[in-house]
Amino acid sequence: MESLDEVIDAMIADRVIHRHRRIWLLLIALVVVAALIVLATGGWKEKTGRTVPTLDAPATVTAGRFEFNFTKAEIIRKPKGEYSDAETTLRVYFTAKNIDSEEYSSESIQSDLLRFVPGGGQDLIKSNGGSCRGDNLNWVLVYGLPPEECSTKFDVEPDFAADVVEIGVLQEHYDSDNGALGVNEKPYWHNEDPAAVVRLKPTVVIDDGKNK
Amino acid sequence: MKLYRPATILVGLLFILIGGVARLAGPDQVYGDDSNLKVVHGTIGEALPYAGSGSTIKVTRIKFARKILSGDGGSDDKPIDTNGIFVAVEWDAVRGVKDPDTFTPTLITDGDSVYEKVSDPNESDMSFPDAGFASTGAIVFEVNPTDLKGLTLRLKPSMLWNVYNSEVRVDLGVPTEDIAQQMVDHADDQYVVNDSVTRVAS
Repeated sequence: MESLDEVIDAMIADRVIHRHRRIWLLLIALVVVAALIVLATGGWKEKTGRTVPTLDAPATVTAGRFEFNFTKAEIIRKPKGEYSDAETTLRVYFTAKNIDSEEYSSESIQSDLLRFVPGGGQDLIKSNGGSCRGDNLNWVLVYGLPPEECSTKFDVEPDFAADVVEIGVLQEHYDSDNGALGVNEKPYWHNEDPAAVVRLKPTVVIDDGKNK
Repeated sequence: MKLYRPATILVGLLFILIGGVARLAGPDQVYGDDSNLKVVHGTIGEALPYAGSGSTIKVTRIKFARKILSGDGGSDDKPIDTNGIFVAVEWDAVRGVKDPDTFTPTLITDGDSVYEKVSDPNESDMSFPDAGFASTGAIVFEVNPTDLKGLTLRLKPSMLWNVYNSEVRVDLGVPTEDIAQQMVDHADDQYVVNDSVTRVAS
């Protein structure tokens, strides 16, 4: 059963909407037009272009907890087999050293610290993490030991080909969170942001499963 | 829509209560503070109680090695090499009735280094078996041979809720740098990491 309150509410709402109907319609039309204008002029997000340095391999990049030295890249093509589709992976080789002088802690290279930049406004592709010591994925690097030979893989389209590939390196920061929000102010490694982009000239390798 | 419906007021009160509960402990204790952890110290060969659960953990021996190899790997598995040194910690865990909290084993030193277990081979692990059982196994850490003084195994429980808890610290018997150097010099060429073995707790 409707109460008197609700009936009165509905009546007032009805009148308000009808009295200012033209203004409402105009306002909605304005919002739609504004959205169309923003879209037509290239979106709301401001495009700043690349703000980090671009280096040519071999290049040393110090990024957060690690020091990378990029050496070479390979495009590995696996031809179509009887039971499998053709696959292509981009493999990037580098040496990595743990330089965590804040926590002196062992750490593996996380997959989102290295990204492949396809260019042309496409989304970045995450790596699969650092593999060291004979292709052991997520090998834990120890602080204080010399650099290890490592590599990482990116999944790319089967027909991928490039003369030059660009790898984005992200760095973590040893920051604390905002204590005003009630969290602990003890700093820790987080807040990744881009450190540099490294350009490598990949060689094409055919992996037919014979040279294993 | 009415703003004074009882349900609306109840939801509002609930938000206030949730906010209050989170703040009860004080900001520095809400996340990851160690002040509510009691440290249980021990040495090699001593069965130490873990987190008040009736479970005990004992380090039976430690071995230094230059290479490690998986115990049930194939014939073409190569041993894993290192620029530092591997430390294998062999342990014996007896499980109590209550389910013990999961924990992260690390090695810490006087030089503030924190070593984590190697990611491969995956036989290298440390965990409690099911209730009524006991198990032995080995966990391997890659370490920096120049920072070994005061080598200690630390088992820190990972807590979702802030409760009073205890962590285990086992002194692995490396009191000075000379002793560390001696242990590194006399390290085995290879250590085979075997899977943990479970038995009935006697």
